[in-house]
Amino acid sequence: MKVSLFVTCLVDQLWTSIGVSSVAVLRRAGCEVEFDQRQTCCAQPAYNTGYLDEARQVARRFIGIFEESRADAIVSPSGSCTAMVRHYPQLFAGDPEWLLRAQSVAARTHELSSFLVRVLKKEDVGASWQGRLTWHDACHGLRDLNLKSEPRTLIRNVRGSEFVELDHADACCGFGGTFSVKYPEISVAILDQKIDAIERAGVQAVVSGDASCLMQIGGRLSRKGSRVQVMHLAELLASDSRG
Amino acid sequence: MNNPAREAILSSIRSHLVASVRFDRQELPQVNLENPVILSKEGSTPRPLPEWFAQRLESVDGRCIIAKTATDIADALSRIITDLKAQRIAISDNPEAERLLHLTDLEIEELGIAPNASDIFRFDVGITTAQAAIAETGTLVLDSTYERHRLVSLVPPVHIAIVAASRICETLGDALTLLRTGPEISPAVTFITGPSRTADIELTLAIGVHGPQELYVIINGSS
Amino acid sequence: MNHLSSETFRENARAALGDVHLRGALKNATSLFGERRKAAAASLPNWEDLRTQARAIKDEVLSHLDRYLVEFVHNAENRGAKIHWARDAAEANSIICGLAIGTKARIVVKSKSMTTEETHLNDALEAAGMQVVETDLGEYIIQLAGEPPSHIIAPAIHKTRAQVAELFTAELGMPPTDDVAQLTSTARATLRDRFAAADVGISGVNFAIAETGTIVIIENEGNIRLTTSVPRMHIAVMGIEKVIPRFAELDVFLKLLPRSGTGQRLTTYQSFITGTKRQATDEGPEELHIVLLDNGRSRMLAHPVTRQSLACIRCGACLNACPVYQQVGGHAYGSVYQGPIGAVITPQLMGIEKTAQLPYASSLCGACREVCPVKIDIPRLLLHLRGEITPRKGGVSERLAFKLWAKVMMSPALYKLSSRAGRLLQRVVPISRAWTNGRDLRPLESKSFHELWSNE
Repeated sequence: MKVSLFVTCLVDQLWTSIGVSSVAVLRRAGCEVEFDQRQTCCAQPAYNTGYLDEARQVARRFIGIFEESRADAIVSPSGSCTAMVRHYPQLFAGDPEWLLRAQSVAARTHELSSFLVRVLKKEDVGASWQGRLTWHDACHGLRDLNLKSEPRTLIRNVRGSEFVELDHADACCGFGGTFSVKYPEISVAILDQKIDAIERAGVQAVVSGDASCLMQIGGRLSRKGSRVQVMHLAELLASDSRG
Repeated sequence: MNNPAREAILSSIRSHLVASVRFDRQELPQVNLENPVILSKEGSTPRPLPEWFAQRLESVDGRCIIAKTATDIADALSRIITDLKAQRIAISDNPEAERLLHLTDLEIEELGIAPNASDIFRFDVGITTAQAAIAETGTLVLDSTYERHRLVSLVPPVHIAIVAASRICETLGDALTLLRTGPEISPAVTFITGPSRTADIELTLAIGVHGPQELYVIINGSS
Repeated sequence: MNHLSSETFRENARAALGDVHLRGALKNATSLFGERRKAAAASLPNWEDLRTQARAIKDEVLSHLDRYLVEFVHNAENRGAKIHWARDAAEANSIICGLAIGTKARIVVKSKSMTTEETHLNDALEAAGMQVVETDLGEYIIQLAGEPPSHIIAPAIHKTRAQVAELFTAELGMPPTDDVAQLTSTARATLRDRFAAADVGISGVNFAIAETGTIVIIENEGNIRLTTSVPRMHIAVMGIEKVIPRFAELDVFLKLLPRSGTGQRLTTYQSFITGTKRQATDEGPEELHIVLLDNGRSRMLAHPVTRQSLACIRCGACLNACPVYQQVGGHAYGSVYQGPIGAVITPQLMGIEKTAQLPYASSLCGACREVCPVKIDIPRLLLHLRGEITPRKGGVSERLAFKLWAKVMMSPALYKLSSRAGRLLQRVVPISRAWTNGRDLRPLESKSFHELWSNE
């Protein structure tokens, strides 16, 4: 199975280990991974803030690049970016040519955990990680892509780990893209509900499928001097007893 | 009739719907209304309707007595009114209500038959019948075409309703269908499910707000 | 009445976040309502089918709204109702004041109606010399307090029982008590004689049935029944979107609305009112007037994404599910329509001049869409509105930033360059306090994934 990695601009600039881990996990699962160096962004920030012309420009570029790929699937370690690509048809609703191209790319784009479990039918990637951990459902992954059982299945198969379900695991972390800086006090107030739940769960790490949520949650945990780590699902799945 | 506001609103509706057409074409197809969903009932095990009604009514703080004979009904009425120490009783204009009250042989200070708005506020208890009931929700159906009970069932702090067991239908949908039999729908139909309530203060439940504080339903099982 | 404005949403929200009482009340109310809704929905095995069906019915009505409105009006008039058409809030208020004055009314009792709050009817009636009494307990409380409602279903949830008790003692001379049952009976006793003395009763409408000309109003307290049966004139005010085609379709909506709003199987009372009484000696009002209000609703029909705003059945479920509403409550929105649905209909009804912040005050989490009984896709609506507002109201520096952003994202060379520049500048340029006030920020990686891959 050949996979084209859509690494996302956030991971590319701020959290490369998510990208590195995603590649490792996909290879361990038997995939050949290609990476198109021309990629930049899926246009989510512009779309979410209402800059539709700019969003379309950047989306067209994304579509143009990825439709050239001969890979069986385009895989991304981000629920929100995958959801954005799945929404491309809405951006091009009035443009029959681009609509078709958007639909075609959208249909081939998968979020990582969904790809592993639903497409590759792999629920165990041979990972091991010692400690108590919990899962935060990132909103787009949960509600746009219906990812609920897939990440949990993968986590439960990580040897040595003890999985604890978080109270209100599906509650938003308060990031919401530019919302986090347009309405920072509300964003942090929402975030603190999540932090309270994490502290009550008594875990060593909180895992999620979106780097944006991890930045939001991790940023508050470290500000509060907490010892709880944040980890992306790809990083967890890439870990093994050899470190 | 030439009504400029009516014309303006209808014309605004029409022109905006027309403007929407080109965007509508781009949206995904909607559900076909011609194939209606078959609405299943909550809890499909069949059970005797009076018992089901009673259970549902009691879960919303109403009280239910299932009576087999007219004497049973009179006894129930008598007990309720005596316990309440009620002295002024309002009844609807259904002769059944008066007949059953007389059977109790109670001494009361005042009896009002379908009192009007300026009089109704002084009564302690209101007794009416109900034209039908709904088992799945514990609901009474009061149809003003057949009985003058709108105020009697609403204003006094206690409402006692008598409904024939044969008039209990299973579902809300059945009751809605029932309301459509006949040439035209009644001017005023009321569904009543338990005593009045509110949770407006700190979400704490309080029974008895503007409508009755207590609701008794006597199911007449005699044929 | 001290109304906050939606123009100052950000400041309103900040103030709300600092109000400990309010946040506690909100947490209790929204989580309780949320749990009850969830349990009630779970008790119906075909809940999802009902939602689909309800949305289909609403879509059908809205795409032929003129036809169904005309049918409703025809059938209601045939049964003796008088219909009045109001293009906007001022016209509605003028019609209603005219009716009240025409019948020489002095006392008007009202049951809860969001539509009349939208038009600020009470102010107009009082200016015309009427005494207006809100009879819904929550509305009565906020009327005494001189405050606007903070939740669509439970207008006074921002008030603790102690605050209500203080209010009743001050305004009604009630002996001090903290007991909710006592507070409720005080309200009951005080309002009883208002009902008896009222000349006019004003209500809202939950559903208007085109097929029969019936209006349907649902409640728990009994004040709607009193308002609509004791006074000699009943005025029912409804937005034009309240129509549903057939009587039998009430089954779907009566299953969805109580469960979604309060977690009840059914509310205590449903009143089905079709025209006026048949005989003068019958019970009930002598006159029934139905006011149909547009006030910007017809404009929303112009696009399928905005048209779904009109499917709302005012259950309040989206408020309870919304992480933003849960933190700041309803007053911050500066509008009678609050929370997620408020954020989308307020700008459409009132225009974007003063309401432009509202569609941006959301993390787009989608919890609202999940709980909406008629499946309104609020996040999509929010994005649609952002797409319309940004070109007109986006700040100059933000617009420039995104133009620059687009240039960078279109060019791998620029992307690489800006990433290098960012790494250098992050040490020198202060990172937005908006982020760093509450959260630490990860530094940019010294090598991007692109660079790592080329080195592989």
